[in-house]
Amino acid sequence: MNKILSVAKAEYLIAVRSKAFIIGIILMPVLMGGGLLVQIFFGNQVDKADRKVAIVDRSGFLYPILEDVNATRETEVVFEEDENGVKRQVRPHFRLELFEESEDTSKTGITLSKRVRKGDLFAFLIIDEAILDPDQISDESDHTLAYHTKTPTFRELPNWLRNTIHQAVLTRRFENANLDRDLVRNLSKRVNLTSLGLVRVSEDGKVEKAKRDNELVTFGIPFACMMLIFLLIMMTTPSLLNQILEEKMQKISEVLVSSVTPFQLLMGKLIGIVLTALTLSVLYLSGVYAATLQFGVSDLIKPSTYALFFLFLIMALFIYGSIFSAIGAACSEIKDSQSLMTPAMFVVMIPFFCFGPIIQSPTSLFSTLVSLFPPATPTIMMMRVAMPPGPPLWEILLSIVLTAAFTIFSVAAAGKIFRIGILSQGQAPSFGKMIKWVMSK
Amino acid sequence: MIAENTPAVRLNDVTKTYGSHLAVNQLSLTVPKGSIYGFIGPNGSGKTTTIRMILHILLADSGSIEVLGREGTRAANDRIGYLPEERGLYKKMKVMSLLEYYGSLKGMKRSEARLEAQKWLDQLGLSDWSNKKIEALSKGMAQKIQFISTVIAQPELVILDEPFSGLDPVNLESIRTSIIQLRNQGATVIFSTHDMSMAEKMCDSIFMIYKGEKVLDGTLNDIQTEHGRNGIRLQTEGGAAALEGLPGIESLTDLGRFQEVSLSGDHNAFLAELLKKTRVLHFEETRPSLHDIFVRIANPQDEDTEDE
Repeated sequence: MNKILSVAKAEYLIAVRSKAFIIGIILMPVLMGGGLLVQIFFGNQVDKADRKVAIVDRSGFLYPILEDVNATRETEVVFEEDENGVKRQVRPHFRLELFEESEDTSKTGITLSKRVRKGDLFAFLIIDEAILDPDQISDESDHTLAYHTKTPTFRELPNWLRNTIHQAVLTRRFENANLDRDLVRNLSKRVNLTSLGLVRVSEDGKVEKAKRDNELVTFGIPFACMMLIFLLIMMTTPSLLNQILEEKMQKISEVLVSSVTPFQLLMGKLIGIVLTALTLSVLYLSGVYAATLQFGVSDLIKPSTYALFFLFLIMALFIYGSIFSAIGAACSEIKDSQSLMTPAMFVVMIPFFCFGPIIQSPTSLFSTLVSLFPPATPTIMMMRVAMPPGPPLWEILLSIVLTAAFTIFSVAAAGKIFRIGILSQGQAPSFGKMIKWVMSK
Repeated sequence: MIAENTPAVRLNDVTKTYGSHLAVNQLSLTVPKGSIYGFIGPNGSGKTTTIRMILHILLADSGSIEVLGREGTRAANDRIGYLPEERGLYKKMKVMSLLEYYGSLKGMKRSEARLEAQKWLDQLGLSDWSNKKIEALSKGMAQKIQFISTVIAQPELVILDEPFSGLDPVNLESIRTSIIQLRNQGATVIFSTHDMSMAEKMCDSIFMIYKGEKVLDGTLNDIQTEHGRNGIRLQTEGGAAALEGLPGIESLTDLGRFQEVSLSGDHNAFLAELLKKTRVLHFEETRPSLHDIFVRIANPQDEDTEDE
């Protein structure tokens, strides 16, 4: 036992002192938030270069309106005032230019395109004269507003042009039809649907109002639980494969197994990565817990959810750690390991293939079966547990028993493969051979 | 501690096969406590397999193995130090942390391991390197660190697989001295080597395995007596011609200034006959070197060809 702990301690210290670990601490929230942090840090980094656009106004009335709205935009959108009253530019200026067409309107497009190519213009917009006639613009291939640019990915300018012109055109159409626009707007208000939980009776016998569904609870937390377990598996276990393979290729394992048994070595390594992943998750979950306290929503995540999270995480790390260690021990070269790694990665990815249908109907037969399939249980069952109302208790208990049994099996099988594989050289491994090793005495 | 008369290692009819390949066949061997025992044999003859079975890294198919008085003692036994033939070190680790780690794997406390490591680093002239990373070390230095990691836990039985390969003469000498020192402190040392002169110089007993079979086992003296040919190396004024017609010559090799003969009869009678014919400048009884015996056993076909 002491030797297992010696190995675990060494592995843990190597892992947490590595650059990869430090990077991992930062990288994880970035991946988790789907780039949310990047948005926060770099969202303000807008390209504030002026965008000059030529307007060909064949309607005859829209250009002055555009100029007016643009002037308002200059004061309300382009600049932002901070607490000290200092103005700061936050969005680009739109410079509008009215293009006067010659007799031959067919040359307008060519002339303006040349100017865009030269860089004199960012884009140009041709407003069709029939823009006020709704019958003419019902066609989908219609070009009532033709926006030309060589930078179509910049959406702020065309969106602004479309919205501004849309509002102006609507107003003009209502005026032409002698209708009060505000009245129409009032009469055509949308009907809304609110998503609510179930109605309960409180302790004093009163009927409580149902709580509004919280998207964070219904989707955010379950998805985050799944992602966190998945990412912790990905950050720690595949590195075991490389590390063991490297020790084998550099003949370090030969030295190690003269001091510890292969099983002690394997267990030490597994415990090492479990400690590493626990360090990371404690770090993150403390952050999450502190945040929920800060915002007064600490009841969103139940203590039992935290407990199950750690239980499933530890089992998942043992399962996948065993699988990747066994592959590392069985191979003698990196290229051999690649071909064995692919099917293993496929198993790790299972939750990603299934989480959509499971979020849709968490109590379906499919959801139940997938969450009881041990390699997928830690991620999928965790997701279901975090999703209200959660699976029945018997399903949670059954999944824990099945996964625990599978964990023991994985570690034992990996121990067999590890014992034989770690000292064998030059044999190209196959799943058949590995199964034979597992079956051997 | 084991009793004085208990051998450090005893193998009894040990056999090991890999699939259809017979790696070690019915091997019996006794390594007395406190001796330096040399394992020799060509590549692939079964040396490493034998060593790994002694260490319990591999299990024998049949037969019994007793190490330090106990059966089934495994490599993990903290009383054994093992230096494998192919060995590596964590390149990114610092020398002292690595030695502490290896010491702790042998059941030492970190502080104990540190003291012992420092002692060895001083002895092998590496004390300035204790805070350097392994990757900064030369190959010879790394090999000395490997040696220290093997002996740091003061093992009773030290098994070294090719401890001298790749060492320059200076480093080789310091490892050799250290091995002798270990033996003098009471440890039993088993080492395998291709370097026959080193085996001759250092080993109390020598064991040779060839194609899985034991072909030599005993002290150098015994082996040389057993495998010695009745050889004479001589130099006379008359040269090779003076030897013609003398009785008892089985074979004659003319080396130019010297001649080598093998005799069937008494050396002194032959010398008396020779003195009658010419003036003798040099007359020496020769014993085959371990190298010669090794080559003779490992290359029987080649020898047959030479004899023809």
